[in-house]
Amino acid sequence: MTADLNLQKPSAGARVWATSLWHSLQSVFSPRFMFGFVLMLLLLAFGFLGPVIFNRDDPMEFVGLLYDPPSEEAWLGTDNFGHDVFTQLMYGTRTSIVIGLIAGSVATVIGILIGTVAGFQGGMVEEILMALTNIVITIPSIVILILLSIAFKTRSIVGMGVIIGVTAWPWTARAVRAQTSSLRTREHVDVARLSGTRTLSLIIWEIIPYMLSYIVMAFVLQLNSGILQEAALSMLGLGIDRGVSLGIMLQWALLWESVRTGAWWAFIPPTLFLTLIAFSLLLLQSSIDEIFNPRLRRS
Amino acid sequence: MIVKNVKAYYVTRSGPEVKAVDDVSFSIRDGEVFGIVGESGCGKSTLAAVMSLTAGRMLKIKSGEMTLDSHTVALSGPIKVPKDWHGKLVALLPQQSMNSLNPTARMRNFIVDVVRAHHPLMHPDEAVRQARERLEQLALPVRVLDSYPHQLSGGMRQRVVAVISTLLNPKLLIADEPTSALDVSSQRQLIQLIQQLLERGFITRTVYITHDLPMLRNIAHRIAVMYAGKVVEVGTTEEIIEQPTHPYTQALIASTLDLDPQLRGRQIEGISGAPPDLRYPPSGCRFHPRCSRALEICSREEPPILGEEGRLVACWWVQEQSGKGYREVEQ
Amino acid sequence: MQGLLTVYGENMSKFQQYILNKVFWFLFAFLIALIANFILPRLIPGNPVDAIIGQMSSGGGVSGEALEKVYAAYIAEFGLDKPLGEQFLTYIGRIAQGDLGVSFARSPARVQELIAEALPWTIALQLPAILIGWTLGNLLGVLAAYKKGWLDRALFPTFMFTSSMPYYCLSILLLYFLAVYLRIFPAGGGYSYAVSPGFNWTFITSALEHYFLPFVSLVIIFVGGQALGMRAMSIYELDADYVRFSRSLGVGDNRIIFYIFRNAMLPQVTGLALAIGSLVSGALITEIVFGYPGVGTLLFRSIRQSDYPVIQGITLFIMIAVLLANFFVDIAYGYIDPRIRARTAGER
Repeated sequence: MTADLNLQKPSAGARVWATSLWHSLQSVFSPRFMFGFVLMLLLLAFGFLGPVIFNRDDPMEFVGLLYDPPSEEAWLGTDNFGHDVFTQLMYGTRTSIVIGLIAGSVATVIGILIGTVAGFQGGMVEEILMALTNIVITIPSIVILILLSIAFKTRSIVGMGVIIGVTAWPWTARAVRAQTSSLRTREHVDVARLSGTRTLSLIIWEIIPYMLSYIVMAFVLQLNSGILQEAALSMLGLGIDRGVSLGIMLQWALLWESVRTGAWWAFIPPTLFLTLIAFSLLLLQSSIDEIFNPRLRRS
Repeated sequence: MIVKNVKAYYVTRSGPEVKAVDDVSFSIRDGEVFGIVGESGCGKSTLAAVMSLTAGRMLKIKSGEMTLDSHTVALSGPIKVPKDWHGKLVALLPQQSMNSLNPTARMRNFIVDVVRAHHPLMHPDEAVRQARERLEQLALPVRVLDSYPHQLSGGMRQRVVAVISTLLNPKLLIADEPTSALDVSSQRQLIQLIQQLLERGFITRTVYITHDLPMLRNIAHRIAVMYAGKVVEVGTTEEIIEQPTHPYTQALIASTLDLDPQLRGRQIEGISGAPPDLRYPPSGCRFHPRCSRALEICSREEPPILGEEGRLVACWWVQEQSGKGYREVEQ
Repeated sequence: MQGLLTVYGENMSKFQQYILNKVFWFLFAFLIALIANFILPRLIPGNPVDAIIGQMSSGGGVSGEALEKVYAAYIAEFGLDKPLGEQFLTYIGRIAQGDLGVSFARSPARVQELIAEALPWTIALQLPAILIGWTLGNLLGVLAAYKKGWLDRALFPTFMFTSSMPYYCLSILLLYFLAVYLRIFPAGGGYSYAVSPGFNWTFITSALEHYFLPFVSLVIIFVGGQALGMRAMSIYELDADYVRFSRSLGVGDNRIIFYIFRNAMLPQVTGLALAIGSLVSGALITEIVFGYPGVGTLLFRSIRQSDYPVIQGITLFIMIAVLLANFFVDIAYGYIDPRIRARTAGER
């Protein structure tokens, strides 16, 4: 009997993983999803393949003087240092997305960890973890980000992503906990528990697959807010200290009065790209959301 | 009043329509409680939505006409129902009073909104005064006027909803499973209240929709039995209970009436099989796959409607036995 | 926590317990915020005074002896030579007196004076923007949900776009197109340099002219997000049985929209209070973009000048504002919504 159940268990979990994925795939049919998805692919291609395609290997190369207007050599002109804006834009997009991905992953992993453990263990563990979560939620993240950023002398891309990630997990944790507590009492979890499955594999195979859709959505949201937080921090003067991101480009543009001197090529492209990234992620997130919450759908 | 040829189908996102109400006609006499009984999913709540003019956007009314006193309104198409019909001619007594009331409005405020929707110039205090008078006449506590919905007990709330629904003396009250969420004594009180409303002439007639035949027996003058979107039999309560002619009615009575009230389920036992999927209703008579009397013709052609005004049955088997004086009627 | 309170809560009403619970959480979060604000800047390698002295000396022109003096003065001022525990107590004691210390960069100005100077600008910019954006957003959201059709089809994507747009991006675009390119509005600052602040007509018109763009950029962003939230809530409410029942009795559209508006809005009240709480932190960068003389610009300058006391003062200030807002939301919410009031007060 026990052996039977043990044999059944992983395959059931795997099936739910598969159906979850299938449901996500189905959302491909919504035009909103397609639009967001293609937009995101284009942005990714621009950031990651662009430097190779256009053969620009150094965003810090000086190609002109302060705020040269767009020309045949520098398609989007030069920035305040004489860097090529087009090259900077590719590297900046890449850096911003990488920082967002790191921040999103860190936040989602911490959120799932705290959420599932709290929801699954219950009792004292749950109360302590949720108290912690509630406190981190109340303290505005921008403040912690500012304080953390000034506490680090050097800020690398990874460091930046991690800093943003560790301030962003509470919302995920809170929602994951709620879902876990409701899943915990389901029959299939009981069956797995009775058949002697260890807590960790129970969480991985019997809990997480059932909220995969939610986790994907939370990750997309975190990715988005990670990218925007990075830009905000950079514009406050607390961005990465080597390299270029969209936020860093904006910071220099603002600091060197590109807006007021009319050098639109220095600030419009990063502004536009930040907006496009945010818009495509919002489209992805809301179309996935509609798939899983049919209530939001309108006929 | 007369309801004629009502067809109402639900539009589904993909695939065929759900034929929830399919060509239903009947007439209701003045001062009457007209019961409609059937299993859940037979289309009776859809019929309630159509008659109370509250069909949602997923429900497409294909045809139908309702005549109430001297007024006739077409139910299908892009109709503009005269505003006065809502509440003044037709009123709904819904299933769940908790959700039917705006949770953040006191009763008095809702009453003012209802009354002033029809008498825009009336002073709010006058509307409340009328409601208070009505409550007193019906021996209900006046203090409920100052309550929020959650502050009333389930039974009291449902009675108050009934009073508000009938405040404008509608000609037709449609009670859609009004007692399904109530305990036995609250059920009795609500039924008494509806009878009082009729006796005092606050409402002219009532359609009482339920799956609970034994309870319907206590209140209805006449009963229509619905199955899978069709009316299969109509008669006085006595006729339906004592001499059911349609095989479905017979099965329904046999399986529900003598049982302990606790055992009465929404599902009718003793009839094999389940109600059909109304996206793909059976051909011919919709009951034939479950009918013990089914003839060969039942699966091919829709049954004829037999009998006379007020006592109708739609069945091939009944026609075969037509020595009993049933003849087809023109509808 | 709940258990702890019930011990001496036998003859306390549930609502009082609820409030006590919230007070406890508020104080606890406040303590954590204080500790974070105290500890984090002290993690800077060396100490902040080293950093500022390093900057001063690299700028040249300051003699070694003078530097020594400044150094000693700063160390004493911040008590950095004392053990950490004692430093913390001094820090708490000062905060209790409303003293946030001396600015590095603009010594001897005290931090609270600098904040007090900048704060009215921030409040004057943000508070009206939040209130108007919130009201407008809610109205448009409920209208889009109720009227559907072309109105919804036009408003929904617009709001999707504006609310997804980072708020500072819109600020930059507005500044460029309306102030630089079309020259309709002044390109930044709180008022023209030609006038001096005071209660006179020239100053007020100048301030209003400079006010318009940052204000509008904030309102647009706020309306978008608010309307989307309200639309979703209203769609949820529209499906509620009470809407159908009210319609069945002939209650007019306007009244029903009002019901939906009110019920869908109760959750939005939280959003309003939190937005007011995060007023200072909410749009720091808009101020930077427009060079508006508020707290955001002060923070920006302080970060560039490594003026740690000011940074720390601003972060503390923001934290207190947000925590207070959260606290009041929790309390007020109990009063506004009769359902919650009933649940906590235990009435039927």
